[in-house]
This record gives sequence, structure tokens and C-alpha cells, in this order.
Amino acid sequence: MPENAGYMIAAYIVAAVVYLIYGGSLITRGLRALRRDGEG
Amino acid sequence: MKPTISSSRGIMKWGIAITVLGLVAMAGVYLLALGYTPLEARQGAAQKIFYVHVPAAWSAMVAFTLVGLVSILYLWLRDERLDAFAASSAEVGLVFSVIMLTTGPIWGKPIWGTWWTWDARLTLTLILFLLFVGYMTLRSAVHDPAERARFAAVLGIMGMVLVPFIHLSVYLFRTLHPMPIVLKPSSPSLPPEMLRTLLLGFLATTVLYVGFVVLRYGLARYAMARLDEES
Repeated sequence: MPENAGYMIAAYIVAAVVYLIYGGSLITRGLRALRRDGEG
Repeated sequence: MKPTISSSRGIMKWGIAITVLGLVAMAGVYLLALGYTPLEARQGAAQKIFYVHVPAAWSAMVAFTLVGLVSILYLWLRDERLDAFAASSAEVGLVFSVIMLTTGPIWGKPIWGTWWTWDARLTLTLILFLLFVGYMTLRSAVHDPAERARFAAVLGIMGMVLVPFIHLSVYLFRTLHPMPIVLKPSSPSLPPEMLRTLLLGFLATTVLYVGFVVLRYGLARYAMARLDEES
């Protein structure tokens, strides 16, 4: 493993988790709103 | 113009599509950063944190600048759509700031030997983050929509004023933070593999910013339209 790889992995995981949690929650809320009013 | 459910639905659909595109682009940045960019000789793998940290910082600054500009327009035009956009951009800016303020110290620990130092760039960035936490808190504390929008607009403009100082802080003060390597008067000083990956990072976080804001704005308009319909 290259030097300081643990720090890089930690930073990449933090960023991915934040993007996925925030993006995922927005997408879920959007899809729920779209479904609530139907496609018509 | 009053928001309608059908126009909000269109905005949300666009927001979902752009957000998914942004997440895919970000996955591409991860792959390039891990498999394509060379290992930097002195910093080792910690240097690769730069491909997630710098683009997140860029999008945070874009988000807060747009909050300020749109807030000026709101105070002039008093259009509630501008207030909804400013609130969306502030929230998304905070998300990018969280990434900037966590990945930065993770890089700082192996390179500077400390998680945090009170230098000008870091301190000003933290103040900007706290100012927008205050902005969101203010929004949830004031119930009258017009009053909330007016107060928030003033705070949003004050936040925007900090952004150029943060960018120029590395020139204005003695600071540990690295100097700009792309957004500077001379041409970027990076090997091509690193530069391409960084530019894709900028593109990915910009697309993510647009997707997040469009979707968040669509949700706000949808909530307003439903409220109007029910009353």
C-alpha cells in the first residue's frame, strides 16, 4: 500500500458518503413527490 | 408568478436526472484519481485527496456566491422564486463545505502534522461555513415568509462578501495552505494526468451542484404549490 493511503481512503469515503446521503435523500423525496401526484 | 404542481414536477425530474449524472461523473473522478493519476513523490497517496477536496471547495464557493447574487436580486424584485433558489443554493453549499472541511484536515494530518491550524484560509472558510449554518437556522426560526426572505437575503449577501477574501487569503496573509494551482493568473502548474482528473472533478461537482440545487428548488416549489392548493 502506498504511503498515506489510509488518509486518502478515509477522505474518499467521507466525500462519497456525504454525496450519496444528500443526493439520495433529495432523489427519494423527489420521487416520492412525483409518485404522490401520479404521472398524469 | 405562483408555483404550480405541474411546473414543480418538471423541475424535479430535471433535478433527478442531473443529480444522477453528477454522481456518475463523480464516480468517474474516483476511478481516474485512483487508477490514472500518478503517485506524488513527497505526499504519497494523501495528495490524491486534492481531487475531491478542491472541486468540493469550488462548488461551495460557487454556491455561496450565487446565494449572495440572487439575494441582491430578491431585495430588488421581491420574487419568492429567488428566495427559494437562494435557500436551495445555501443548503447545497453547506453540503460541499462539509466535504471541504473534512477532507482538508484529513490531508493536513499527514502533510502538516496537524488536523487543523488557525491560518487565514482555514479560519475564513470555517467562518463562512458557520455563517451559512446561521443562515439556515435563521430561515427555520422566522415564520413570516417575506420577513424570512428579507433577513436571509441580507445574511446571504454578507456571506458572499467573504468568498473573494477566502480565495485571496493565500496571497494576503502568511498561510500554510497551498497556493492556487488552477484558478490563478498564470497557466495551471500540474502534470496533464493530474490536471485532466482535477478538471473532471470541477465538472462533476459543478453538475452535482446544478442537480442538487434544481432538485432542492423543485421540492421547495412543490411544497409551496401544495400549500397554495390546500389553502
